[in-house]
Amino acid sequence: MYSTELLKGTLKTIILKLLADNKKMYGYEITQKVKEMTMDRIQITEGALYPTLHALEADGLVTTETEFIGKRVRKYYSLSPSGKTKAKEKVKELASFIETMVSLLDLKPRVA
Amino acid sequence: MYQISDQEVDYILDDLLARGIETESLRYALLDHVCVMIEEGLCEGGDFVLFYHSALRAFYKEELREIERETTFLMQARGRLVLSRGLFFLLLFVLVGGPFVGYVIASMLRSGGIVSFQVWAAAVVYSAFPLLVLCVLYLTPDRLDPLIPQRSKVLLGVHPFIKIVSK
Repeated sequence: MYSTELLKGTLKTIILKLLADNKKMYGYEITQKVKEMTMDRIQITEGALYPTLHALEADGLVTTETEFIGKRVRKYYSLSPSGKTKAKEKVKELASFIETMVSLLDLKPRVA
Repeated sequence: MYQISDQEVDYILDDLLARGIETESLRYALLDHVCVMIEEGLCEGGDFVLFYHSALRAFYKEELREIERETTFLMQARGRLVLSRGLFFLLLFVLVGGPFVGYVIASMLRSGGIVSFQVWAAAVVYSAFPLLVLCVLYLTPDRLDPLIPQRSKVLLGVHPFIKIVSK
């Protein structure tokens, strides 16, 4: 498990990228997908996920559709056109950041 | 797989509201999340209340209200500059003290390096009171209900210009 500080700045990027790859998802599905893809090394907490999803919705980056399951309402999130652009930007930015960190921390595997 | 009844859904909704989840859309999102957890993790005939409370415990550090607070904060922070308390006071100190420092530097340049006693005195006397007020505001402990509490954030925007959010 990685520290919360480390994950905090990447949460939006993770959510946007997942939605870009999976068309529409609901909250629980997002947490499970991340757990599965990272083999439990990254676990998105509910306390971080839902405030971020609300903010993304308010920013117009994700759109929602609801499905009624008895008395429950399931909210599916999908990317809006501006969300798709933002997802690409965020992934590009993170990739560049990782590259910089690899070079800064000298993490490149050394060839003998 | 456990089937959640309508009464149990009502129980969860009431509990979430009682624990401070006041935003309706957030409450329904958490309801669905915890319901899926219960359906996947609880065996038929299992103790619903016990399982629900243990599942919900994983949602927060100290209290469930944290999720509501974080949601409200992120919504309020949209399109605004978010400053920590320390940074905000630093900005105020610079804004208040800057003109006096500038005044002294200008006098120094005009007189070729020597600043007269009157210039120093004016700068010190006129800057002392606002800087003292800022010091008092910055150092007031939380138990005395300060204007900007220790763990708060300051949001700078257009409407309103300054907003203090306690986290």
